[in-house]
Amino acid sequence: MTRNISNALHSAIIFIVVTIFLFLIGFTTTGSELIIKALSPSIAKTSEGLEIGFTIFISLIGFIIGLVASKREEPDTLGRNLVAGTIAGLISGVVIGLFGFLMGTLIENGIDLRGYLQSVSPDSMRKIVFDQPPNIGALRLGGIILLSSIFGSFINSTVIRAEWRKSLSTSVSESSTADSVRKTASKLGANQGFRMAMMAVLAAILIILPQQWGSYWNFVMGTVGIYILLGIGVNLIIGLAGQLILGYVAFFAIGAYTFALLTAPAPHNLQWNFWIAVGLAMISATIGSLFIGLPILNLRGDYLAIVTLGFGEIIRILVKSDLLTKFTGGPRGVRDIPGPTIFGQSFSSDVDYMYLIIAAVVVTAFVANRLQNSATGRAWVAIREDETVSKTTGVNSFAYKLLAFALSAAIAGLAGALFASRNQFTGPDDHVLMVSINVLCLLIVGGMGSLPGILLGAFTLKGLPELLRELENYRLLIFGALLVVMMLIRPEGLWPATRPKLEEKGKSIEAQKGEPT
Amino acid sequence: MMLEIDNLNVYYNAIHALKGISFHLEKGEIVALIGANGAGKSTTLNTISGILRPRIGSVLFEGEDLTKIPPQDIVRKGIIQVPEGRKIFSKMTVAENLDIGAYASNDRARIKSNMDMMFQRFPRLSERRNQLGGTLSGGEQQMLAIARALMAEPRLLLMDEPSMGLAPILVEQIFDIIRDINEQGTSILLVEQNAQMALSISDRGYVMETGKIVLEGPSNELLVNPVVIDAYLGGGHD
Ligand SMILES: Nc1ncnc2c1ncn2[C@@H]1O[C@H](COP(=O)(O)OP(=O)(O)OP(=O)(O)O)[C@@H](O)[C@H]1O
Ligand SMILES: [Mg+2]
Repeated sequence: MTRNISNALHSAIIFIVVTIFLFLIGFTTTGSELIIKALSPSIAKTSEGLEIGFTIFISLIGFIIGLVASKREEPDTLGRNLVAGTIAGLISGVVIGLFGFLMGTLIENGIDLRGYLQSVSPDSMRKIVFDQPPNIGALRLGGIILLSSIFGSFINSTVIRAEWRKSLSTSVSESSTADSVRKTASKLGANQGFRMAMMAVLAAILIILPQQWGSYWNFVMGTVGIYILLGIGVNLIIGLAGQLILGYVAFFAIGAYTFALLTAPAPHNLQWNFWIAVGLAMISATIGSLFIGLPILNLRGDYLAIVTLGFGEIIRILVKSDLLTKFTGGPRGVRDIPGPTIFGQSFSSDVDYMYLIIAAVVVTAFVANRLQNSATGRAWVAIREDETVSKTTGVNSFAYKLLAFALSAAIAGLAGALFASRNQFTGPDDHVLMVSINVLCLLIVGGMGSLPGILLGAFTLKGLPELLRELENYRLLIFGALLVVMMLIRPEGLWPATRPKLEEKGKSIEAQKGEPT
Repeated sequence: MMLEIDNLNVYYNAIHALKGISFHLEKGEIVALIGANGAGKSTTLNTISGILRPRIGSVLFEGEDLTKIPPQDIVRKGIIQVPEGRKIFSKMTVAENLDIGAYASNDRARIKSNMDMMFQRFPRLSERRNQLGGTLSGGEQQMLAIARALMAEPRLLLMDEPSMGLAPILVEQIFDIIRDINEQGTSILLVEQNAQMALSISDRGYVMETGKIVLEGPSNELLVNPVVIDAYLGGGHD
C-alpha cells in the first residue's frame, strides 16, 4: 500500500510542476484554443469555447495524473487503483487549485505579472479560474482535476489493465485448468461491452475528425499516420525480432519511387492505376528486402546496422544520381503524381487521403498485432532474446528474421507509396537518413512493441512540433519538456518490450534482487 | 547405436577445441561426459545440436549424419539440448518458455497436455506460470530449462552442467529428475563438472581433457579409478 501512495505522490508532484510550467509559458491558453479549434472550429473564438477548451485541457491533465498514479499496483485491484487516483487527484487538485486562487487574487487586485513572466497575460490569469471569483474558480479547477484523476485511475483498471490481463490469460488458458479459464473469461466479459463502446467512439472520432480539421491538420496528421506505419514496420524487425536495421528509409524510398514512376506522367508516362501501383510498391520493397536480407541477415548486431545503413544511403544516392535522371527523375524528383480514384470517382481530397492513411494504419496495425500474438511473434521474441537458444528449441531463426524483414519492408513500401501520392511528389530529399532515425526515435520514445506506444511516439515526434509551431519561441523548450514527461510516464518506452505492463513487474522485482541470469 | 561420434574436430577460428573425439551412446543410456573447464564439453554438445560445425568427423544419429542438418531440423529428430547456464527466455513468462520449447510441434492438444504434465512434475513452475522467466530463482530456472526441453518430447537429451551453481539439496533434486526422465525412456548425454554425481547416475562415462577423450568406461569403474579420483573426485580441485 505504501507503494501506491508514493506512486500517487510521485505522479501528483510531476504533474503539478508540469501544469504550472505550462501555465507560466502561456500554454494553458494556447492549448485550450487548439483543443477547441480541433473539436469545433465555429465556437473557437468565443469565450465559452475557450472555457470548454480549458476544461478539457485540465481534465486531460487530471486524467493522466490518474492513469500514472494507478499504474504500478500489484495486485492491481480496482479499489487500490481508485485510492491511488483519488490521492493523486486530491493533492494535485488542491495545489493547482491554490495556484489558481493565487493567480486569480493577484489579477483581481490588478497585479500584472507580465513584467516578470512574459507569457502570463492577465487574460490567462483570469482564465485559469474560469473568469470567476478566485475562490469559486479555484474550487472548480481543483474539482475537475480530482474527478478526472479518479476517472483516469478507473479507466486504467478497467480498460487498459483488462487488455493486459487478456494477453496474460491467453497463455494461461493454453495451459491451465478449465477453472481459471472461466475466471479470467468472466473478468473480461465485464469489460467487453465497455471496450466495444470505446472502439465505437474511437471509430466515430476517426471518421468525423478529418472533415473538421481542415487541410493543414489533415496534412500534419497524415504525416503522423505515415510515420505510424513506418513505426509498426520497424517494430516488427527491431522491436520484436531484435535485428538492428538502420537504413529502413531504403524501403520507404523504393515504395515511393516504384509508385511514383508507375503513375506519374514523367519520366515514363505509365499512368498506371493507383491501387495496382500501391501493390507493386509493396512488392518491390519486399523484393528489395530479400535482396539485401538474404546475404546479410546472418550478420549480427552492429554489422547488420552498418550494412543496412549503407543500403539506405545507396538507394538515395542512386535515385539522385545524374546518370539515372532519365529513369528516376534525378535530383528534381518525380512530380505531378495523380491521386487515387474509387469507381471512377476522384478520391484525392485532403480528407480522402486522411481516410486512406487511417485505413492503412488500421489494417497494418491489426495484421501486426495478430502476428505479434501468434506463434510467429513468439519465435521473433525468442530470437531477440537469444538466437542460439531459439535455434535449439527448433526455431528456424534465419527464416523468421527474413520474414520480419520482408514484412517490415512491405509496410515501408506502402507508407512510401501513400506519402508520394499524397504529396503528389517524391524526391531524394524525402528519403534521407533522418527518416530512419526519426522512426527509431519514435519507437524508443513511444516504447517498442506496443501499438499505443507507436501512436504516441509518432505523434510526439511528427505531430507535436507542428502543433507547437504556433508557439515558435518555445517550441523546442516544450518539446524537450514533453519528451522528459513522456519518459516519466512510460519509462519502459526506453526498452524493447512486447508487453510493457508485464515486464514492468519483472523489472521491479529484478531491480530488488539484481538481474539473475 | 543411437548416437555415434567419430573423430570430431571442431575449431573456433584458430583454436582447435575438439581434437578428434569419438564416443557413442546406446538407446536408453545415461552417458556422462566429465572434464575440467575448457575441456570442450559444451563444444561437443553444440556440435551435436548443429550450432557448431566440425571441420572433420561425423555425428551419426541412428545412422544419419547430423553435421549437414540445420539446428531446427535436428530438434525435430528428437535431440534437445538443455544449455549451459540455463538460458531461459527471461522476458517471456514461464508458460511462454514452455510453449517455445514445443515450437517444433503443431499439435496444440498434445502441447497442452505436455504443459499440464510439466506443471504437475514441477509444481513450483505451475505457481509461477505467468511470472517472467528472468524473475525465477536459479533452481527454478534450471527446472524451467529442463521442462522447456522436455516439452519437445526428446528422444535424446543433451544436458550441459545442470547442477551448476545450485545448492547441494537442489543438485540432488535435479539428479533425481534426470534419473526419472531416463527411466521414462529418454536417452541422456550428461555433461558435468560434478563428477561424483554424474558418474553415480550414469551407465558409462567419458573423461575429457583439452579437446580429447582421455578415459572411458562403465561409470562404476570410473568412480573407483585412481586417476579419476585424483583429478575429479577426491582431490577436490577441478
Ligand atoms: N565462442 C568461442 N570462441 C572461441 N573459443 C571458444 C569459444 N567457445 C569456447 N571456446 C574455447 O574452446 C574450448 C572449449 O570450450 P568449452 O566451452 O567447450 O569448454 P567446457 O568443457 O564446456 O568448459 P566449462 O566446463 O567451463 O563449461 C575452450 O578453450 C574455450 O576457450
Ligand atoms: Mg561448458
